[in-house]
Amino acid sequence: MDPITQWYRRTVLRLVVLALLATACGRDHGTPHVRPLPKADNLPPLRGGAAPKSERIASYKIDARLDPTKHQVVATQTLRWKNTGTSAVDRLPFHLYLNAFKNESSLFMRSSRGKMRGAKATDTGWGWIQLESVQIGGAELASQLVYPGKPDESVVELPLATPIEAGATVEIHFKFTAQLPEVFARTGYKGEFHMVAQWFPKIGVRVGTPGAEQWECRPHHAFSEFFADFGTYDVSLTVPNTYVIAATGVLDSVTEAPGGTRTYVYKAEDVHDFVWMADPYMEVMTGSAKVEDGKVEVRVVYRPGQEAFAKRHLQAGIGAIEKFSAAYVPYPWPIMTVVDPPPDATAGAGGMEYPTLVTTAGDSVFTRPGIRLPEYVTVHEIGHNWFQGILASNEPLEAWLDEGVNDWADAKVMNELYGSRSSIVDWMDWHAEVVALRRAAAEPGALPSPVATAAFAFVDSAAYSDATYTRTMMALRTIENTAGAAKFAAAMKAYAQRFAFKHPTGRDLFDTLQSELGQDLSWFLDPAFQRASAVSYALRTAKCRKYHPPRGVFEVGGVRKTVTEAEAANTGSYVCEVVVTNTGVLHVPVEIELKFADGSSRRVKWDDRGNGAWERFEIERSSELTEVWIDPDNKVTLAAPTQYHYRLDGDGSASLRAAARMSAITQTLMQIVGL
Amino acid sequence: MASRLRLGDLFGAGVRAVSKYTGTVLAVFVVQSIVALGCMLGIAFLLAQEFSHLPMFDDAVDGDLVAMIWCFKSATSSFAAIGGLMFGAVLFWQLATWFLVGGLVGVFSQLPEGRGDTARCFGASGTATYLTYARLALCSLPGLVLALFAFGLGMTMIEDRIEHALTLPQLLGPIVLASLPALLLLHYFWTVSDYARIELTLRHESHDPSVVMTYLRTLIWVARRPVTLVHAGLGWIAFLAVSIAYVYLAQGHPMYGAEGAVTLFFVRQGVALLRMAIHVGVLGGQVELGRTRPLPPRRVEVKVDAKAS
Repeated sequence: MDPITQWYRRTVLRLVVLALLATACGRDHGTPHVRPLPKADNLPPLRGGAAPKSERIASYKIDARLDPTKHQVVATQTLRWKNTGTSAVDRLPFHLYLNAFKNESSLFMRSSRGKMRGAKATDTGWGWIQLESVQIGGAELASQLVYPGKPDESVVELPLATPIEAGATVEIHFKFTAQLPEVFARTGYKGEFHMVAQWFPKIGVRVGTPGAEQWECRPHHAFSEFFADFGTYDVSLTVPNTYVIAATGVLDSVTEAPGGTRTYVYKAEDVHDFVWMADPYMEVMTGSAKVEDGKVEVRVVYRPGQEAFAKRHLQAGIGAIEKFSAAYVPYPWPIMTVVDPPPDATAGAGGMEYPTLVTTAGDSVFTRPGIRLPEYVTVHEIGHNWFQGILASNEPLEAWLDEGVNDWADAKVMNELYGSRSSIVDWMDWHAEVVALRRAAAEPGALPSPVATAAFAFVDSAAYSDATYTRTMMALRTIENTAGAAKFAAAMKAYAQRFAFKHPTGRDLFDTLQSELGQDLSWFLDPAFQRASAVSYALRTAKCRKYHPPRGVFEVGGVRKTVTEAEAANTGSYVCEVVVTNTGVLHVPVEIELKFADGSSRRVKWDDRGNGAWERFEIERSSELTEVWIDPDNKVTLAAPTQYHYRLDGDGSASLRAAARMSAITQTLMQIVGL
Repeated sequence: MASRLRLGDLFGAGVRAVSKYTGTVLAVFVVQSIVALGCMLGIAFLLAQEFSHLPMFDDAVDGDLVAMIWCFKSATSSFAAIGGLMFGAVLFWQLATWFLVGGLVGVFSQLPEGRGDTARCFGASGTATYLTYARLALCSLPGLVLALFAFGLGMTMIEDRIEHALTLPQLLGPIVLASLPALLLLHYFWTVSDYARIELTLRHESHDPSVVMTYLRTLIWVARRPVTLVHAGLGWIAFLAVSIAYVYLAQGHPMYGAEGAVTLFFVRQGVALLRMAIHVGVLGGQVELGRTRPLPPRRVEVKVDAKAS
């Protein structure tokens, strides 16, 4: 056999063996081993043992045990609820969020069609929660439970024989089993990873003016997140001793328990939710953030293969805690935990906020250092600890007040942490700033619904996310640019300080902005948030003609005189005419920059509020107009700026360069398929 | 005999073919350059129509990611037209290649002397075999579909791994392994097509062999001679190496203005010429090896004289 044939056969054989090996091998994490007994945090649930920051209306004591094989949590729960309203309550509604994943008849599954944020509900991994017992004062009431939204079972109501009077407190005892779904829509398991969220019966919130309070407790919809009263949590979690646990609050104690398990006791105060993560392979990386009245420990929980990303999350997390604390109110809790889910669980569990614990995302070979998606997700989720965790607005009704305001705030933090030129992309020769990139990537055209629309009332997820996230961020950035960054930052800080732990509404934000900025902003706020509005500037005309004094027949001192071309010759200067229009419904004062052939430029201002949809500018100048630039400082970020910068004489050199590159690609393809 | 020809002989034959018929290679390259230039001007026209008044496009071409997204979103139909133009150019070149390869194989096999004879030989051979090559392309379709299927299957198998890859080895390892069967199949079928073309050209006048039978015979012939695959494979590796070297060296040398575009075009033509020389060199070696194949059975046309019966 000749050498080439021998080499050829050997190589083919090796490739086959290699392919088989590669197919057989997955990511092997080894066998879970018993973890060293962790130490308690020895920290108070509020930093420095501070006094209560909220009314603490709903407080929970839960004793839960995880069965990692069945992916089930069996628990008992005591809820202590106080009627802080002025009217009596004759029924108690509870969220049973896990029933959103029980079957395809739930509102969540109908509104999401089983898909969410790149994750899909699986046929084998349904989730549900079953209440085995509900007792008040020793009386068993489980048989009286009603599901008002049947066939949806994500809300259950308990009618009360004896109403709870205003100012009274009631204790409700539950026994329940929570079956986690295969990870989907923020909760569930994937292999041995368990993200246990929305897992316990959670009471609704009484809202409304005194005397007219009503329950706010809606079935779980794909577009809406959560709204709950603040309280305290005292939660015991019993899990196998091979598992690492991360949870809301601080670890108060941990003890060995029978059957190779351990019991972790967590305590949290002035929070409105409790979540936890259990996984046998996770490691913990810690750092410290400095805030004005102390320090916050930042922990990133990650699997070993994700260590490089964990470092990026930790750095971003520390920066976020420091910047948000300085900009709004200091982070009130002693620990912030960032869970970095395994890659195959990220779509379902990643990128979600809870008080003191968030899950992040973005770990991928494609997010090279400099492509700051992982950092951005961490900053965004930690930012929620202010807008969702501390301010805690009603997310089903006013999602924009959390998501969109947080998006606006994240962009500032990202710019401060990574530089405003390349806060989101700084990779090879590519650079991008967060707001600019988000603005460019947003859906074009007008919204089908105003920003201030209840989350569940949007036509689809694209409309929801565009209005709630991007448009809100752009609207706030536009006000900020118009009012001045420093003044606007002070106004937002005042809003955060005034309404911390008080569930503010959109009206509270608008009123604070107007009072702090000392301006009536209704001309902007109403159309930008309450209407399906858009700004749509366009350049209609831009041209110059040579200037000469007026010619024709004139009456001068009673004498008719004809001024001829010779008498009124061209002066050598130009009269340039520029017409701009705004066909949108939102009118924002804007600057227009005019550039001339001699290198000079001039800015004119156009305030189209109440002045019609167009404006004509006529300028006499010694040289011709070469460029017109509407909004040259990019202040009106609500608009799409493609046509805003216009040069009168075309220049095809960039087109030629781009074409040279594209034709080189074409030629390479030609040479691959042909000669 | 075929067994006597080694890899070195094939490369030597390739180098000789390219050096002896440099003018012919250059002429073929000029045709390709004209197609590429036409494509470039067409694209430039479409882009200029859309963007010559918008400085934002200048920023996009200079690497402003955000400007690029805006420009792309605002002119999707123009970019679709550009995609069509690029696809059209590739398709046109594929059709032209049948003629050009026919011509080159004719020249390399008949070894004409002088510019006039070479041109006549090139034209005659390219014309004579054009439709035969077209039929051969149809014959090779099932093989290409099989390679495509293998590629799709491989990619489906590693979909999750790609999605969840955290490092370059985690990404590239599975991709290389999953696409390897498809690449090997593609390489095999392309090499078969190359040798079938040569066989059809060499025997065109003397034997007029059947296209289908030639293709089927070549499937076996190539499979039994690994040197054919190694030789062509090394050609592709050289092609890839030149392309990668250019991309590496071109990094950090942006060329601005219309002059930059023209300079860029000429530099890239140099790279394309080198790659074409590699292709033609491989073809020269393949012709050398193809000549050693045993003659196919002569096709005999039987005429039945009705009157005689």
